[in-house]
Amino acid sequence: MSVEKLSAELESILVKRIQADQLYLPSMPAVVVKIMEVLRDPDAGMKEVAHLLERDPVLAARALRMATSAAFAGGTKRITLQEALARLGTKALKSLLVEASAQKLFISRNPQINDQLKVLWEHSVAVGILARDVLALTGEGDSESAYLAGLLHDVGKPVVASVLLELERQLTEVYQKGWIDSGEWLAVVRTVHRKVAVALAEKWQLPGPIIVCIKDSAEYDKGDRHSLANAVCFSNALAKKTGIYAGEVLAEDNDAIIMIGRSVIGISDDILRTLTKGLRERVSGLYD
Amino acid sequence: MPAILTVDDSRAVRTIVGKQVKELGFEVLEAEDGVQGLEQLAQAQVDLVLLDVTMPNMDGPTMLQKMREGGNGTPVIMLTSESKRSIVAGAMKVGISDYILKPFKPEELRQKVLSVLQGESGAVIEAPLPGGGVPLAAEPGEAASPAGGRFVDIAVVDDMENVHKKLRSMLPGHLSMNAFTSAQAALAACRERVYRVVLIDTEIPDVNSAVLAQQVRVLQPPAALVALTLRSSNDVSREVREQGFDDVLLKPFRPEVVDDFLLRYFDNQEFLQVEDNVLKVAPFVGKADRIDRFYGRLNGQFTGALEKVAAACYDEVVLDLGAPPLEGDRLPKFVVAVFEKSKEFGMSLSLVGPAEVHKILGGYTETKDLKVFATVKEARVGAAA
Repeated sequence: MSVEKLSAELESILVKRIQADQLYLPSMPAVVVKIMEVLRDPDAGMKEVAHLLERDPVLAARALRMATSAAFAGGTKRITLQEALARLGTKALKSLLVEASAQKLFISRNPQINDQLKVLWEHSVAVGILARDVLALTGEGDSESAYLAGLLHDVGKPVVASVLLELERQLTEVYQKGWIDSGEWLAVVRTVHRKVAVALAEKWQLPGPIIVCIKDSAEYDKGDRHSLANAVCFSNALAKKTGIYAGEVLAEDNDAIIMIGRSVIGISDDILRTLTKGLRERVSGLYD
Repeated sequence: MPAILTVDDSRAVRTIVGKQVKELGFEVLEAEDGVQGLEQLAQAQVDLVLLDVTMPNMDGPTMLQKMREGGNGTPVIMLTSESKRSIVAGAMKVGISDYILKPFKPEELRQKVLSVLQGESGAVIEAPLPGGGVPLAAEPGEAASPAGGRFVDIAVVDDMENVHKKLRSMLPGHLSMNAFTSAQAALAACRERVYRVVLIDTEIPDVNSAVLAQQVRVLQPPAALVALTLRSSNDVSREVREQGFDDVLLKPFRPEVVDDFLLRYFDNQEFLQVEDNVLKVAPFVGKADRIDRFYGRLNGQFTGALEKVAAACYDEVVLDLGAPPLEGDRLPKFVVAVFEKSKEFGMSLSLVGPAEVHKILGGYTETKDLKVFATVKEARVGAAA
């Protein structure tokens, strides 16, 4: 079966399942859901949040590490989880929880798929960092939300990958032979992931502007030059240009997106240098 | 004088572009469409073409195609309200140097025109190596990366120079500080240097301090961002955190507040620095109630420092006390402890310190016979004698 045909069939299956509410979409971890509920109350205390977060030691450790990092003026003192959460604040905590939930999607028990997902996750992190920094350095737009928008722009890919993996397992059991190679696998995922991503984002009740970024944003919005979608569109192309991407890149198309984006958003040579300098080092190692 | 041809069917655009380009010192030629543009190119020597996309008679992409087919390699910047990537990608394939979306800011036009004419366009992105993920080295002439730049403890951004002076006067001498009165100067420095703490005034005229904090955060990821502000509410700490700061330092500066600030961000300093056979005690920073803590840290560090000196096979060690806190008997006790430990390692001990130190040590039986030199040089000579 050709990649095109497989993509079309898979998309058709997925869309039907989404419409019929029959597609299994991963839920956020129960702890995260509960904390998100608590955080919706503007008067919520961090004591209650800390109590909930203690149930997930990995997440709790991540929150502590973030709060004691230099970026949060950590200093050298040991602090409690509650103090850490107070230091992070509601917005950063929500962002951390969504990021942690998303990252869990990018882990597979299949080693080959896991390698691909690792590169996908690194690309997502790179786009998140770039989108945030683009808006921060131009001094326009919502740079903090841009990180999450960039991070989640490809969140449909691991979901499609898991469906594809399941199909492959069923088919190979029947026909006793290999199915598609990793290049074709990526091509299929790339073709059909957007719709699934939007469904997932809606299920996770992510903010509207972030869902807009997840929808295909191949063209810039001239009316809102510093929108999240524009920042993500530009950052996606820039991450590809710097080589942090798995799969084929149409170089001329990608260069055009960067060239247009620089003018749309207002990115000088200085800003561009700052954005890409050491990007790979900043991204690598964040998966483990 | 270099000449620039602007090809656009809008007279208003031609006028605006022409005015800005003339201000740069260039001659300006105009054309209303691609047909006129090609005629102009046939008649005059042009250094750069600013080309619209959608025009009657002949559009921009067609004119560009005909230029290249005719062997005309004049640089072209697309200046258009068209932002479809397929169109721009097509033009890039034929050969454009840059792209400007209308409406545009004069600085963008100026920067891109000069960049193309000076041959500086492109090559500002760290690209991957073919087949690998390791980025290329920075381009020639590019500013050094922050990690390779100069390390400075504190940057202060405040339009009032008096604030810089006041803060400097309250900081211990060993802390380095850069002061800036403008956001622009601070950002330029942040591209070149590495700071541990960046203090930003929240009331700089015409500067959005939250935006400036975001920009500094990108350029100085590990630095702590501290807002400098007057107490405007009871919850000023929360307010500044919502603006993206990590912390707040209230103005006017009070000694105890600066003290807390120093303790928080510069507490992990080396209390005892070792250079050759000299142990140098760091200056004491803080309030009187922190003196015990200061000596506690010194007592915890000197054995390791002496081990280093002994391991380097020195027979004598010099303890440069600087100007330590003299309250109580903490200093004599510390000196005795260092003296005893030095003996264990088989090293003689010489002390360096001001007259006050000499006086204090002279008041205790255990230390009254120890000689205190005024300088490290004198101590070394004294030890050798």
